Amino acid sequence: MSDRNRSEGADDTTTRTRSEFTDSPVVTTTVRLLAPFVLTYGLFTLFHGTASVGGGFQGGVVGGAMVITVAFAFGIRPTAEWLDERALVALVVAGPVVFGVVALAGLASGGAFLQLDVLPIPKATVYATEAIEIGIGATVAAVIVVLFLRIADGYREPTVETPADLEGPGDADPSVGAGGASDD
Amino acid sequence: MTTLQVVAPTLEVAVSVALLSFVVVVAVLTAVVRDVLTAVVVFAAYSLGLAILWVLFHAPDVGLTEAAVGAGVTTALFLLAISQTVRPAGGRTLVDPRTVKPSSVVVALGVTVGLLLTVPALPPVGAADTPAFGPVSDFYLADAADRGVDNAVTAVLVVYRGFDTFGEIAVVFAAAVAVLAALGRETLA
Repeated sequence: MSDRNRSEGADDTTTRTRSEFTDSPVVTTTVRLLAPFVLTYGLFTLFHGTASVGGGFQGGVVGGAMVITVAFAFGIRPTAEWLDERALVALVVAGPVVFGVVALAGLASGGAFLQLDVLPIPKATVYATEAIEIGIGATVAAVIVVLFLRIADGYREPTVETPADLEGPGDADPSVGAGGASDD
Repeated sequence: MTTLQVVAPTLEVAVSVALLSFVVVVAVLTAVVRDVLTAVVVFAAYSLGLAILWVLFHAPDVGLTEAAVGAGVTTALFLLAISQTVRPAGGRTLVDPRTVKPSSVVVALGVTVGLLLTVPALPPVGAADTPAFGPVSDFYLADAADRGVDNAVTAVLVVYRGFDTFGEIAVVFAAAVAVLAALGRETLA
């Protein structure tokens, strides 16, 4: 009986309010201090993938998770505006492009598709693997950030709109809107 | 002849048993807890327990992935999704058993029993005649070192199974394209 009353009364349900900022200085300070180390660890995992534990996927995920942590601490919207949109899209594309270029380079060097040891560079397999790993890391990190930002935005009303966006809602020019606002 | 060997109660075994028990408990808790936020946090703990288990089983690459993706990024995405839901005030901690559909319980039990039935078909731990100890893995380990790639996992992913990894990165790329297309906005911020 009490359960039914509780579910019927809208006032009794506590809605989870979405706050742009964490009020706690403990959280923001911790994230501010830890972020460089987490990013460094992610990059180390990425670049050191041929010699030790890790690789492109792991390093990319750690790097992307760092951005998500910053977004949770300092607000999703400010973090999205802080990111360079064109760079993010370029990173998303980097993995498939680098992988394809390296794969075709094996073909062009007289080997098979994705044959790495025929490339005309010293330690061909190692450096080709490193290049692919960096591409994978870039794509994985950027895709995680894109998924996070899009899902965070997709579920709510577009509250923050610049005047340029309001004048031309169908205008997809990336130079106007939030991308331009991050140039300050 | 897959008789269970009596393993010596070393520290590693003790930690493994403790972690496996922890993982089972939090897996069940994820299903029966009533508050979705609690379920998400418990699910993250499940991933973290699995990640430590992978490290214990000498698979640090998988452990790193499990910790970063399972415990980290997935939790963040779940938190985003439930941040728009309404949290019921007070009430019981666990799901009321009377509200659980019997058919769900039957399906869950059926899948669990079906999976457990396949366990005796697995080779015993450390069996020398499994494919893992065949000449193929010896070749990979020796050849990867010859090529200068010391991490055999990375070597398999990129050098020997590059085509699969190419497909995987295409899937990751497609995820971003799909989300941007489905949500109908090409801009990010």
